[in-house]
Amino acid sequence: MFPEIGLFLIILSTVLSLILSTTAIAGIKLNNAYLLGYTKPLNSLVCLTLASALVILGYSFVTNDFSVAYVANNSNTQLALFYKIAAIWGSHEGSMLFWVFFISLWGTIIFNYAPKESNLFHTKMIAVLALVIFGFSLFMVFTSNPFARLLPEMPIEGRDLNPILQDIGLIIHPPLLFLGYVGLTICFAASIAALLSGGLTKQLARYMQPWAILAWVFLTGGNAFGSWWAYNELGWGGWWFWDPVENASFIPWLISTALLHSVLMTSKRGILGSFSIFLGILAFSLSLLGSFLVRSGVVQSVHAFASDPTRGMSILTLLIVFAGTAMALFAQKAQISRNKISDSLCSKEIVMLLGNVLLMVAAASVLLGTCYPLIIEVITGTRISVGAPYFNSIFIPIASLIFLLMGLAPLIDWQKSPLSALTLPLVLMFVCAALAVLISVITKGTFDIWLFLGLFTSIWIISATLFVLIKRRASARNTTKGPQQSSLRFYVMCCAHVGVAISVLGATFVSNFEQEELLRMGPGQGKTLAGYNFIYEETQEVDLKSYSAIQAKIRVEDADNEQLITHIYPQRQTFKSNAMQMSAAGISSHFWRDLYISMGQQLTDHPHLNDNEYLIRINFKPLVNWIWLGALMMMLSGLLLIICRKKAPLFNQDSAQEKTSSMENSNESSTDKK
Amino acid sequence: MNLALIKNNAVKQIATVIFIMLTIFQISNANAQQHETRQHYSAEQKKALGFEIARELRCPMAINQNLFDSQSQIASELKGQIFFMLEEGQSKNDIINFLVERYGEKIRYMPSLNNNTLFLWLFPLTLVIFSFIGIFLLMRKNN
Repeated sequence: MFPEIGLFLIILSTVLSLILSTTAIAGIKLNNAYLLGYTKPLNSLVCLTLASALVILGYSFVTNDFSVAYVANNSNTQLALFYKIAAIWGSHEGSMLFWVFFISLWGTIIFNYAPKESNLFHTKMIAVLALVIFGFSLFMVFTSNPFARLLPEMPIEGRDLNPILQDIGLIIHPPLLFLGYVGLTICFAASIAALLSGGLTKQLARYMQPWAILAWVFLTGGNAFGSWWAYNELGWGGWWFWDPVENASFIPWLISTALLHSVLMTSKRGILGSFSIFLGILAFSLSLLGSFLVRSGVVQSVHAFASDPTRGMSILTLLIVFAGTAMALFAQKAQISRNKISDSLCSKEIVMLLGNVLLMVAAASVLLGTCYPLIIEVITGTRISVGAPYFNSIFIPIASLIFLLMGLAPLIDWQKSPLSALTLPLVLMFVCAALAVLISVITKGTFDIWLFLGLFTSIWIISATLFVLIKRRASARNTTKGPQQSSLRFYVMCCAHVGVAISVLGATFVSNFEQEELLRMGPGQGKTLAGYNFIYEETQEVDLKSYSAIQAKIRVEDADNEQLITHIYPQRQTFKSNAMQMSAAGISSHFWRDLYISMGQQLTDHPHLNDNEYLIRINFKPLVNWIWLGALMMMLSGLLLIICRKKAPLFNQDSAQEKTSSMENSNESSTDKK
Repeated sequence: MNLALIKNNAVKQIATVIFIMLTIFQISNANAQQHETRQHYSAEQKKALGFEIARELRCPMAINQNLFDSQSQIASELKGQIFFMLEEGQSKNDIINFLVERYGEKIRYMPSLNNNTLFLWLFPLTLVIFSFIGIFLLMRKNN
């Protein structure tokens, strides 16, 4: 009964969103206030129907309604309650519903709190959003209905959520990523609405900015948390594999970073509006492309948990329809304004623009590498792989260029800096490079280009940011009445940039100074690595509700004074519901280092030995936690920016500028028309 | 007329630069091959090199994992093979080529430079160069 209502609600939301979009467009075209008056209630209704559908899906999970195929495939009677709820977004159909609902919710919040004077922009945006919701809902109804029944052969106990997914990671990682995608969808709708309103003006960019920031915050969180989860859960000891699925969410992150900075420039200086719009469309299209790559199963991945070729076509159709029409619209409507971006090559605008273009280049390169095996197989029939070594050798140089610009941009002025302003940054850069060479030679004995690049860029970003902070404090002391708000934004920017540097530093250290050992171990055996003694004490058996496991009890002590530091328990788990085996690493985390042990197969190839030996992998990972610490800093800075934006009297302060800027805008548009 | 000539020259120069870089890449590769005759590795070197090789190769069994991370049977055997060949004093290239011959180009995570992968290697470099030139031209036009 309830699942049928759920399906009905999805159908209802499909129809309603189409009506909403038509009403909004007709209302704008006919300039009819009566029609426009319907948009708000209709929009809220779409949101409500989707919310109810989601609640019904959750209810089906909680009540173990295994006649629903999606529930039966992803849950069983023994699953803990919060995993049942997390299973709503654990696989394809449910995650689509989750995604669509949040598009609707986010849109509704924006629409209901929209300032009165800009109503038409927001209405246009809602019309576009409603079309997106319509497309997605149609996709759900026809090819991935989460409420499809499994009658009459329904499993009594249910099947199971993939054991790898039974982890705290599942509760947090996918929703963050989906919310990021939802944010990009909002930015896409805003870009289209801006395109239809004659370009992204300063004012419109100011509306769009918090959405772009929030989308970026969620995407950062999704990527970072995904990486943390893979590191902790999957037992391979790596934190980034350049796997197609990781790339699929990393590429939109790169573009959304560019979008964030571009929108910032547009809202501050009124330039590059078309470029921001283009990035908005691109980011959404790439998030759809990413979903296509992940969910259709065209690429081979370790993380693909919900792939099915038949869905691929539908997502591809959505992608072609949305991205295609948006790009066509862009080609027709975008006005490349002939306004000067800046007066000279040496200006903040140019540096940021170059940084954004390089971010796009990085995204394009990663995308090419991800799809290249597919392309080559189709064209020539040969099968090749493109993996981590390739991506590292391509991405790191491009990223280093971006990091150079990232340190430089805050140091120079808007519009025009005299060339002499470059002397100090260049000297600083030189000092950082010398320091990096020194450290690299001392620690490794030889000059290692990768270590140098990592060290140099992170030291450079941190020192350049510190330098700019000091400079700013000094000038703030001279002119006592500085604008409060912009100084807060400035500090937040510094914090985010330092966060990037900290992540880079962590990644550099763990890639260059990691120590590892792969050996067979049994009770009583030990090994010394990186100043720690690892002693295998015994093999234990663990029995939990959903899995049983054998675990090694490994004693870790200081190699010098043999004092106990901790015990680490790597496990090999066997799940009860489907007998699937997997390993869970044992990790002892610390600010400066992680000790990471994973337990491999039991070794029985030597009949003369007792078969209580396992293949054990021990890793010493310096600064690995800094990678996620940096990401956390980036996220918090982004959030701070949004929270403080609401509270601080930004609009009062800006309203004075508003008149001048709107005048500028009208000037701009008049010059555009000419 | 003059402008076209300059453009032509510029294109030629860029092509030359790319060609030279590729040649250097190839020579350094060839050099590396010539240089590495049989040699004796220390235990430390063997470990480091063995792990490095295992990280650059794809496990033929697992879905998308390198030999080092994969826990499948075949991955263990191939890791053994790598260390066996290192014991014999064979170079990294020899070992990788030997395994590629057996399991196909697909197990190489670092694609080699050939006709098929030329675009893959050149595309990012070209894009970077173009973005610098593009910004420069934009500014010229602006002023």
